[in-house]
Amino acid sequence: MTTIRSFMTDDHRRCDDLFAEAEQAVGKGSFDLARAAFGHFHSAMLAHFDSEEKTLFPTFEAKTGMRMGPTQVMRMEHEQLRSLLDDAAEALKMANAEDYLGLADTLVIMMQQHNMKEENMLYPMCDQHLTAELPAILERLETELCEQ
Amino acid sequence: MLAFENAPPFAAPLRFFLTAPLFAALAGLLVAFEGPDIFASRWTPGALAATHLITIGFMLQVMLGALIQILPVVAGASLKRPVAVARVVHVGLTVGALLLAAGFFFGAPALLGIAALTLGLSMLFFLAVTVSALIAVPTTSPTIRGIKVALFGLSGVVGLGVVLALALAYGWPLPLMALADLHAGWGLGGWAGVLLAAMAYVVVPMFQLTPGYPARASWWFPLFMLLMLLLWSIGVLGDWSLLVRLGQLGAALAGMAFAGLTLRLQGQRRRARPDATYRYWQLGLILSIFGLFFLLTVAIRPALADIDGWTLMFGVLLIAGGFIPFITGMLYKIVPFLSWTHLQTCGQAKVPAPAMNKILAEPAMHRQLLAYAAALALLLAAIVIPAWLARPAGLAFAVANGWLWWNLAGAIGRYRHHQADIEAKLAAKLTAP
Repeated sequence: MTTIRSFMTDDHRRCDDLFAEAEQAVGKGSFDLARAAFGHFHSAMLAHFDSEEKTLFPTFEAKTGMRMGPTQVMRMEHEQLRSLLDDAAEALKMANAEDYLGLADTLVIMMQQHNMKEENMLYPMCDQHLTAELPAILERLETELCEQ
Repeated sequence: MLAFENAPPFAAPLRFFLTAPLFAALAGLLVAFEGPDIFASRWTPGALAATHLITIGFMLQVMLGALIQILPVVAGASLKRPVAVARVVHVGLTVGALLLAAGFFFGAPALLGIAALTLGLSMLFFLAVTVSALIAVPTTSPTIRGIKVALFGLSGVVGLGVVLALALAYGWPLPLMALADLHAGWGLGGWAGVLLAAMAYVVVPMFQLTPGYPARASWWFPLFMLLMLLLWSIGVLGDWSLLVRLGQLGAALAGMAFAGLTLRLQGQRRRARPDATYRYWQLGLILSIFGLFFLLTVAIRPALADIDGWTLMFGVLLIAGGFIPFITGMLYKIVPFLSWTHLQTCGQAKVPAPAMNKILAEPAMHRQLLAYAAALALLLAAIVIPAWLARPAGLAFAVANGWLWWNLAGAIGRYRHHQADIEAKLAAKLTAP
């Protein structure tokens, strides 16, 4: 059965794949390829954040009344990730491999530990509290994440 | 119930991370000072002192610091007053390790007794704090199970260590050699090995973008290792050598399987270039497989342990070749990453934090890794030809670990510099109209 946890975790893995493609391209020195691959990764990440911030988190907050809890921390981490993504895009634009790879290292750990918190704590909580809303939420997340 | 933001202040783990390399360097200096005699057997006062400077002063030091840091993140178990806990444990561990090494080196019963008391009480305190934080946490992942089993292993190695130190100090009639082997088994297998695996389940996929560890094997590894150590312990208690050998065999095979699996996963990594952490782990995985091979041979033919250098080879390969590289590799990620997150928090999303490579640059880590690999090669060669190589190997080991300290301390210096800079910029932004 599809759960919020499995669906959103799959999307994390898809973002990982796109990240790896971009980094591989920079490693090989082909910046045009890297910019294209990073573009895909960047928009997949932003779409993922948006679907959480506009659909999943508000529903969770409304249902549980936890507004300043885990979802707030996740929003803060999204901000940090967004700014890392912008910096990395900038480094790619300038064709600065050294800066890009340094930022990518920071980005990968930040992203992975953020994902770990969501996959192991927040998503299971969502699945637990949003049983009634589950089909409708999954449908909305699916449209939001597949549109781009 | 959620521990999203309960990560402790930087000061809590940092004191452990900055002390540890100094202990490893001290062990190197001790080898250089003692010279060839230290390689005569694992029971020489110098060898016992150097071993414990590394296992307690370096390994345990970093492992406890890291646990205080990550328990809230990976297990959702937050310690109350983490900085106070860190302070007490750090002082107890540092003083205890120095006293113990001095007790071995000078053959001073009183020092051994005080060291046993200091280390025993510090670890009892640490265990009480962590177990009470973990007790309500359900075992929902192999990592949480691994941490719980590892803490049990810690109580085993510390309990046996205290008994051994007191037996040595007061001449209790105990089978010291069999108990010392068992003590090492609990320390390297039940505590360090299981904790390493529990951390690897999280950090190997995270740092290298590898596939995850297979679920069933990762759930079973901690329990299997625990079972082998229990068999080994019962064997020692009942004087059944076959059971002892079975436990050793199982522990060696489990360790080799874990290292082999990790090597295979790392082969499937998707990061663009090998960094210092990755290379340190490759080195550690390969050498610990060789080290465990020596344990395997002793389990099958115990007489091999009487060959000169056989057990020394095992110890050097597994500890200096395996655990120190694993730990150093992780320090090279943890320290820059924690610096970065704390700078992020400090900038309050208004002033950006510098990326990790601005805190600790790759070339600095890489050069230190080469120095460490050279020291390791000398150390292994010194087991075979101690007369020529013991002192150079000790010195090289001290230099490589001093260099590790220099790299980490440099990173912290840059962290403090950036912190002051961010605070100044933030103040300027807030006062600007």
